[in-house]
Amino acid sequence: MSGLIIEGVTKKFGNVTAVEDVNLHFKTGEMICFLGPSGCGKTTLLRMIAGLEEPTQGSISFEGKDLTRVPVHQRDIGMVFQSFALFPHLSVGENITYAMRIRGHSRSEREDRAKELLDMMHLPGVADRRISQLSGGQRQRVAIARALALNPQIFLLDEPMSALDANLREAMQIELRKLQQELGITTVVVTHDQTEAMTMADEIVVMGRARVLQTGSPMEIYKKPVDKFVAGFIGTSNLLPAKMSGENAVRVGSAELRVEHGAVGQPAGTDVLLMTRPEEVFVRPIGASAPANAVTGKVSFVRDIGATIEILVDCDGHEVISVLTPKDWPDVRIGDAVTVEMPAGACTVLAA
Amino acid sequence: MKSTFTRRRFMGTAAATGVATLAAPSILRAAGEPIKVGTYGGFFESSFKEFIFPEFTKATGIEVNSVAVPTGETWLVQIKNAARAKTAPADVSLMAGIPRNNGARQKLFQTLDESKLPNLKNMPDRFQDRYEDGGLYGVGGVSWYITLCTNSDEIPVAPESWAALWDSQYEGKIGLLGLATNSFLLEVTATTFFGGTDILDTKEGIQKVFDKLSEVVPNVRLWYKDEGSFQQQLQDGEIPMGQYYHDVAGLAAAEGFPVVSTFPKEGGILDSGYWIVPEYANAVDEVHEFINFMSTPETQALLSRNVGTAPVINTDLMDLSEAELAAVASPLEPIIPRYDIYQEHAAWISDTWNKMIAG
Amino acid sequence: MQEGTRLTRSIGLIPSSVMIGIFFMVPFVLILLTSVSVPTADGDYQLGFSLEHFDRFASWFYIERALFSAGLCALIALLSLLIAFPFTYMLTQFGPRSQTVWLIYILAQLSLSEVLIAFSWQILLSRTGGIANILVWVGLAEKSFSMAPSAGAVLAALVYLAVPFSVLLLYPALSRLDRSLTEAARTLGASPLRTFFTVVVPVTRPAIISGGVTIFVLTLGAIIVPQVLGKPEHWTLSVLITDQAIFNFNMPFASALAVVLLVISASVIYGVTKFFGGKS
Repeated sequence: MSGLIIEGVTKKFGNVTAVEDVNLHFKTGEMICFLGPSGCGKTTLLRMIAGLEEPTQGSISFEGKDLTRVPVHQRDIGMVFQSFALFPHLSVGENITYAMRIRGHSRSEREDRAKELLDMMHLPGVADRRISQLSGGQRQRVAIARALALNPQIFLLDEPMSALDANLREAMQIELRKLQQELGITTVVVTHDQTEAMTMADEIVVMGRARVLQTGSPMEIYKKPVDKFVAGFIGTSNLLPAKMSGENAVRVGSAELRVEHGAVGQPAGTDVLLMTRPEEVFVRPIGASAPANAVTGKVSFVRDIGATIEILVDCDGHEVISVLTPKDWPDVRIGDAVTVEMPAGACTVLAA
Repeated sequence: MKSTFTRRRFMGTAAATGVATLAAPSILRAAGEPIKVGTYGGFFESSFKEFIFPEFTKATGIEVNSVAVPTGETWLVQIKNAARAKTAPADVSLMAGIPRNNGARQKLFQTLDESKLPNLKNMPDRFQDRYEDGGLYGVGGVSWYITLCTNSDEIPVAPESWAALWDSQYEGKIGLLGLATNSFLLEVTATTFFGGTDILDTKEGIQKVFDKLSEVVPNVRLWYKDEGSFQQQLQDGEIPMGQYYHDVAGLAAAEGFPVVSTFPKEGGILDSGYWIVPEYANAVDEVHEFINFMSTPETQALLSRNVGTAPVINTDLMDLSEAELAAVASPLEPIIPRYDIYQEHAAWISDTWNKMIAG
Repeated sequence: MQEGTRLTRSIGLIPSSVMIGIFFMVPFVLILLTSVSVPTADGDYQLGFSLEHFDRFASWFYIERALFSAGLCALIALLSLLIAFPFTYMLTQFGPRSQTVWLIYILAQLSLSEVLIAFSWQILLSRTGGIANILVWVGLAEKSFSMAPSAGAVLAALVYLAVPFSVLLLYPALSRLDRSLTEAARTLGASPLRTFFTVVVPVTRPAIISGGVTIFVLTLGAIIVPQVLGKPEHWTLSVLITDQAIFNFNMPFASALAVVLLVISASVIYGVTKFFGGKS
């Protein structure tokens, strides 16, 4: 079996279960993001892949080789820590080639590699500097270079962007993704930032309360969240309480809507949530031709930020957001009664 | 064990009591108030308080305030500092040989009125310290012997001469006092091998004695400054031979330890504390009365029986039994420390001694 | 305005300066003055300037004593760090509760005085005491023997005295050591032992150096252990100072020796921090 396989992994710290029964399978060369709020177990799972924690149950293997009991230093991994964990007593170059020194590479080999990696990380000529002389962004690049010095098979990053400021963060996300694709290295990134995950990942693993909630490509997870927790965590979502009224239909207030995705097919009368994404619902003034699959409400706020316009509609006490481009502008004002069209293909039913 | 350990403790206690006494301000004494009498802190002071001072008060009506004084020169410095302020930390006090000599040189003690000390006639001359003009400043108070002590389990037949210290069969088995000024081994060597302490009159003579004394070094296991640790090892047989205090060795033997104290044929070392009166002491009449009382045969017998000290007066004036006398003294001529040489050649003796014992 | 703030700041410093002056400078100046005082005819000494006491020191015997003291204390600092450092590092890996218990236990060890430790070791190393009899019992020795006085006994007791201090001196640095640094080293292929030597030791080097210097200075002042457990050739300069001050009452010479001891301490502190402490 190729790729990174996590099978039935559980980790307990005393009475606290940090990770419970996780089963995952990733292809070699993928970039994977563990996404979830703090305390969801994502870092513990990463540390178990690294070997810094031992699973209470289950196994972890890579390219068919069982890693579960292999000590950290024999795992052939590169890891970037949240604090970067650069060695303060070594220069930049010595940090980068620490792993090579441990393996007994010659000095000239190490110097060449340090130069090569620093060039790759766009940090030429800093090899002799002390760590304390570097900025946060430079430190991150050094940490990445250090982890990659020996071309490890698995590249692990624990919240790599959290120490950077917002502008730098976005640039680094793209740069890191490019680097990963260039090297084709199986990479796992832990983050609590959904934009980061969406930007970089081939596969996103959404975690909550020690469990994996959903696995899939960024678009799958965005479009078809399995429950309201995932929906709420990824992007903005409109959630309206509803009742099943047929195989593929729900009733919201007095309106009946057809739905295509999610937990359809439940018995009529079951309480559910109707989820839509803001860019997939459309606001129209009342009186125009009444659209099918729509709910009614009253405009409570309009935010025009140029590229897009957000309209907030109060639908019987529940807020629905619609994000439109200026060309779809329905010309409504605060207080206007409107219909909100929710095409069946944009509607997902979630368990209440 | 117990109290005997604290008798003349030189380390810790001496320094500690010194500091404590320094801190206590000396108060000028008004007439009719108790006199302040200084004795070595620990076993000595408590014994004096229990057995001696009440008898004195009974006999004379004079009350006594006891002052614990440190052994060594610390007490002399306190007296000197008090003298600068024209006071005295005690009205009368015991002081050992070397500091007494130093104090006399600096004229820190009052000249005593011999007419008020009729009991002086009981006392050999060596217990009467005089200035060059003949003025009396020190009167013998208590004496103790340092003898050759052995562990009878390890050494069944105790040697009879100090020369045993040089005997190679005792290599690594001997404990000796760690300072020239409290072991008095120069005097012992001079008496044993050079016919007496006169050879110590000159530096060249002292050097000769040192040369001889240095031959004992390989035999010495412990140069002790703390009596307790040597006594422990003597009792256990770890260090089966050495110089030690005759009275304490007797107490240990009485407690059942296999310790024997022998007066070598050259004599035991007789060290003494003398009563001195600091320059600015008050109550001079009462102090004379005290010194006179301390020199009576009755008081000396009381001391021998209860404190374990050797008499400073002629023993035939006293009613001590043979056994009681043997417990504290010996009829052999004692080796008397030459306090004067430690004053004249202080630095040189101390350096030579240090080099010698360090091998 | 500026003058005013400078003035208030100076006034604010007065209490602490006065304290430091009284408790540290005055005794030091007195020792210095005493060490160069001149003797008087009656055997006393008085204010003046004479180097005769330093001249007395300048003989091979005293210089050798000073070198021995420095060497002994350096060895003790080294040994106690060698024992304390791995122990303290392991201690910081324990849970917070057992760390607290251990620290309280070690702190309690510090309340044992040098006197108590010296005499306890004397009993332990005696013929009738524990260690020799254990050796006989396990068959390593034929007949019980005494291990004191000896250089080994002095060393053992002083190291015993210094280890708790070393632990407490090293603990803050080791407990503050970022765990991710050692983890990073492990992910980069270093075994736990390599990690210890290539990361833990170099990162905590300032604490190791200052701890070593502190132990050195601390043991330089030990006077009871060398006397009780050592032969005269193991007596340190501090013992000789005590002899001169308390028994021979040669305050000027004792002061001169104390000044020498101070100079040794100061130059070791200066030298070590200069040559080993500079980089980070």
